[in-house]
Amino acid sequence: MARLSGLQKEVIALYRECIRSAYKKPKENRNHWVNYVHSEFAKYRKLPKKEFATVEHLLRVGHRRFEMYSSDTIRDVH
Amino acid sequence: MLRSSLVRFARVGATRAPLKAPLTVSAKVPLSFPLKVPILYSYHRMYSSAPALTREIITERILELLEDYDNIKLPEKISVNANFKKDLGLDSLDQVEIIMEIENEFSIIIPDDKADEINTVKDAIDLIEAQPDAV
Repeated sequence: MARLSGLQKEVIALYRECIRSAYKKPKENRNHWVNYVHSEFAKYRKLPKKEFATVEHLLRVGHRRFEMYSSDTIRDVH
Repeated sequence: MLRSSLVRFARVGATRAPLKAPLTVSAKVPLSFPLKVPILYSYHRMYSSAPALTREIITERILELLEDYDNIKLPEKISVNANFKKDLGLDSLDQVEIIMEIENEFSIIIPDDKADEINTVKDAIDLIEAQPDAV
């Protein structure tokens, strides 16, 4: 990957964590999780990388939601 | 030392000597029945071990994995030297996902800093080849 900023690296790290934890969910629901992660990240795919405040906010929200959803008691997502 | 080796030689000679006599006899008398040789080794294949992971196998499996990945806009461009971004039209998030698929395929975990350096199919093959744990 060609010279990513620190913020971009953080986004990619979060994405990686999300996909990784999707593989820890029950097998039959795995596709739901992967699709959900895709759709959530796709919402802001066109966001310009210069909008630091927005990206930082989304990262914070994303991390909190990731922690909430990565609990074992949550098995499926729609 | 010398004594013990002498004793051993004597013992070998003693066991050999009685063997010689019947062998010379049987050479003179033709055998009317087939000689039964006990089977010491049974030549059957063991399927318990996987074949060694060669570069060809790695390449084949990675290319197959890429063909199954449906975000690639230019499937005909998949080759060993293809760059994920330039040739296959993937973005950095897709790239993360491909690397994750490769991790699952070879049951290894690629650390983040190494994963960031994978830009081409060849990089991925090199990395897997350098991993002793990959299956």
